[in-house]
Amino acid sequence: MIFVVILVTLFPGVFAQYDPYKMNMDAFMNRPTGSYWFGGDQFGRDVFSRSMYGIQKSVIIASSAIAISALIGTMLGLLSGYLSGLTDLIIMRIMDSFFAFPSLILALFIIALFGSSMTNLIFAIGLVYVPIFARTVRGATLSLRDSLYVKASKALGKKEISIMLRDILPNISSVLIVTFTTNVSTALLTEASLGFLGLGVPPPEPTLGGMVGQGTSYLLSAPWIVLFPGLMIAIIVLSLNILGDGLRDVLDPRINR
Amino acid sequence: MEFGYVFRRLLSAVPTVLLVTFMVFIAIHIVPGDVVDIMLGTQNYLTESQIEELYSEYGLDKPLIVQYGIWVKNLFTFNLGTSLRTGRPVTELIRERFPITLELAILSLSFALLFGIPMGIVSATKRNGFLDNFVRVIGLIGLSSPSFWVGAILIVLFSGAFQDFNLFGYVRPGVDLLSNLQVMFLPSLTMGLMVAAQILRITRTSMLDVLNQDYVRTAKAKGVSTRNVILKHSLRNALIPVVTLSGIQLGYLLGGTIVIENMFALPGMGRLLLQVVNERDYPVVQGIVLFIGILIVLLNIVVDIIYTLIDPRVELR
Repeated sequence: MIFVVILVTLFPGVFAQYDPYKMNMDAFMNRPTGSYWFGGDQFGRDVFSRSMYGIQKSVIIASSAIAISALIGTMLGLLSGYLSGLTDLIIMRIMDSFFAFPSLILALFIIALFGSSMTNLIFAIGLVYVPIFARTVRGATLSLRDSLYVKASKALGKKEISIMLRDILPNISSVLIVTFTTNVSTALLTEASLGFLGLGVPPPEPTLGGMVGQGTSYLLSAPWIVLFPGLMIAIIVLSLNILGDGLRDVLDPRINR
Repeated sequence: MEFGYVFRRLLSAVPTVLLVTFMVFIAIHIVPGDVVDIMLGTQNYLTESQIEELYSEYGLDKPLIVQYGIWVKNLFTFNLGTSLRTGRPVTELIRERFPITLELAILSLSFALLFGIPMGIVSATKRNGFLDNFVRVIGLIGLSSPSFWVGAILIVLFSGAFQDFNLFGYVRPGVDLLSNLQVMFLPSLTMGLMVAAQILRITRTSMLDVLNQDYVRTAKAKGVSTRNVILKHSLRNALIPVVTLSGIQLGYLLGGTIVIENMFALPGMGRLLLQVVNERDYPVVQGIVLFIGILIVLLNIVVDIIYTLIDPRVELR
């Protein structure tokens, strides 16, 4: 299933039968048929084609956002866990204050201030998940900080940044991979929710959450406009959650019983 | 109760609360333009001196740190500013809308516990059986599904099956309790199902841990019935982490109702937040976000304190 999602993300045009922006008069509010598999929306656009391009947008936004979170969060976590003391206190207090807000509210707040565009969306969602990476990497760094090979590197006079990046970081990569995968799915839900609220990528760009949000007014007369894009979100997130669980089982020896 | 611990816990939250206020304050000031720019918009008929007066009235001519100090001082008197659009105090708007959000959060949590705990217990006691796998799949689907999609499915199902069911049109409980519960049923069921998936998982994990304990094995060896092993010997200990998670979830429910309130047209805080975001009414946006942030910090403290009360193994530090 993940493989299919990746294929759709890379080549949505291969799967989409129609132009996602084109209004087809014969598809206007049409039920799913052989020609329009997911039916037509309120502007006569093919819901299936829009869903394929929507999957691409959502996966790109979520992955890019989490990549940003991973980059910033990992650096903060390494600094916090390795240097400890005042650095650790300041960084973790700032991270704690981020945790005071539900991720959707925080992302919405950032979007409210800077406006909704694809770049701002990636930045807003990315910022929201930084504390998760910071905390996770900090914990992993703390457990490795006093290990023999790190002490040996210190004794050899290696610089602290070199120890963090070359000695500690490779040994926490499995934790990072699992955290990355599990949070891409949550980020995708956040992006979809923002799209539903009209704060995602502006129309006419097809996004899964946006399609559901715009289609809610027609829920009782044309439920397919809402139900199929929502189903796509659920399938992608489910696939990512299963992948994350599987990776955790394989890469985290502590829970392998 | 260890009042010393409670006091220390409250004290430790002060830096976090201060940081939260600072983050919210500074975020608004990072944005290009300010309150006066928004008020004037493109229709600027005021003279330079009149604009300066406005800046002075809103304290925007003072250094940023002084503005922050004045803002924090006002927080102590529950003064969160006034709405740019309606001129009404932000505190008044929150006071009007918060009870609806709180009602939704409490009802949602109730549904979550109603579904999540029994399913978690069944899953743990029938480990690796058909029921366990079925419940775990349901839980995974619940965790993966967007709330607005589940809400949409429920609306379609209920509007088809129960034609007389009142889906929209909020009524306060004091006015007509039955209508209120009718309107709140679907939104709280939707959110409840989302949270139930998490409650299910934690109940299952916790129950499995407890069922593997020596004292449970002893109880079984003594011939205690399975029902009593679960209800009298295991459940109370297994539910400790569930209580903690429920408290944390309540905090996030209070902030996370925005999607459901907008879907079901409930006039709660979440719906107000989206409205004022679209209107660029920054004082109200700032006030609501700050309110939610501080509420969650305080709720987490309450959860910590409750945890120390119900789990005698926890040392108070």
